[in-house]
Amino acid sequence: MTALASPSRGASLWQRWRFHLSALVLIVPVIFTPVFFQENAFFDGKKGLGQREIGEIAVGPWSVRLAEFKVVAPDAEGRAGYAKTFALALCPACVDEVKAAYLRVGKPRNIRTAGALFSGTPYRQTAEMRIPDRTTADDVLWLTLEGWDGALHQATIPIRAASPITAAWLEKRGRP
Amino acid sequence: MKGLRKGGLIIAAIGAVSLFIGAAWAHPPFCICKMANATTVRCEGGFADGRGVPGVKLDVVRYDESIVLETKFGPDSIVSFRRPEGEFYVLFDAGPGQSFDVDYKDIQ
Repeated sequence: MTALASPSRGASLWQRWRFHLSALVLIVPVIFTPVFFQENAFFDGKKGLGQREIGEIAVGPWSVRLAEFKVVAPDAEGRAGYAKTFALALCPACVDEVKAAYLRVGKPRNIRTAGALFSGTPYRQTAEMRIPDRTTADDVLWLTLEGWDGALHQATIPIRAASPITAAWLEKRGRP
Repeated sequence: MKGLRKGGLIIAAIGAVSLFIGAAWAHPPFCICKMANATTVRCEGGFADGRGVPGVKLDVVRYDESIVLETKFGPDSIVSFRRPEGEFYVLFDAGPGQSFDVDYKDIQ
């Protein structure tokens, strides 16, 4: 008969606590389940267009609903600077008429500089708009809609109205 | 036992990756133009996620919309050209929604 070697202290601790760890592995996802479903509903659009709806904006013969996707300051995008995400829904009557929607800070020079292109369904599409270094809180966003017939229509929204949190961020940042 | 442990590791890895799926998002382009010397402008392009822009169009356009130069980024995502006189802008054009302008006043 041989005597069993007693386990090391580390192995003994592991033996004792692995049951509790396995329970933790089950409990942690349960804790995060409500957040998961909330985020899921938000990304599915069940909680509205975005976290803060800006309102209905007339753009030529069409109209759109515009929203801040999330009420947060612009995201740092490395060397590309900062960007802010907006969400847009085309009016039901203009879904078949509008080919593309663009958003940018300041007046576009032409269609090639119309800004960030909204992508997604006509009922909820998003665009990540660049915030150029020169941008100030008093600047204006230009929304450009392009029709399938080639027609271009534009509307302006002051940054202060489109995203108060971005305006506050710009004021705090100052002009570089 | 070994197989079980391996399976557990794979599940844990998949779970960890799924945590970052929501973070996937578009990566905007950039075009940084500076004076390389007294007469030459050097522009470096790319996307925020580190992708380069070889072959992407870059136009130099006057304020009256007349095109001074039509060129493309090289394999190193850099393009250099002689600075035109007067008011102009550099148009980085990686396709619809991925194009923007750099004003001459911002090129120093």
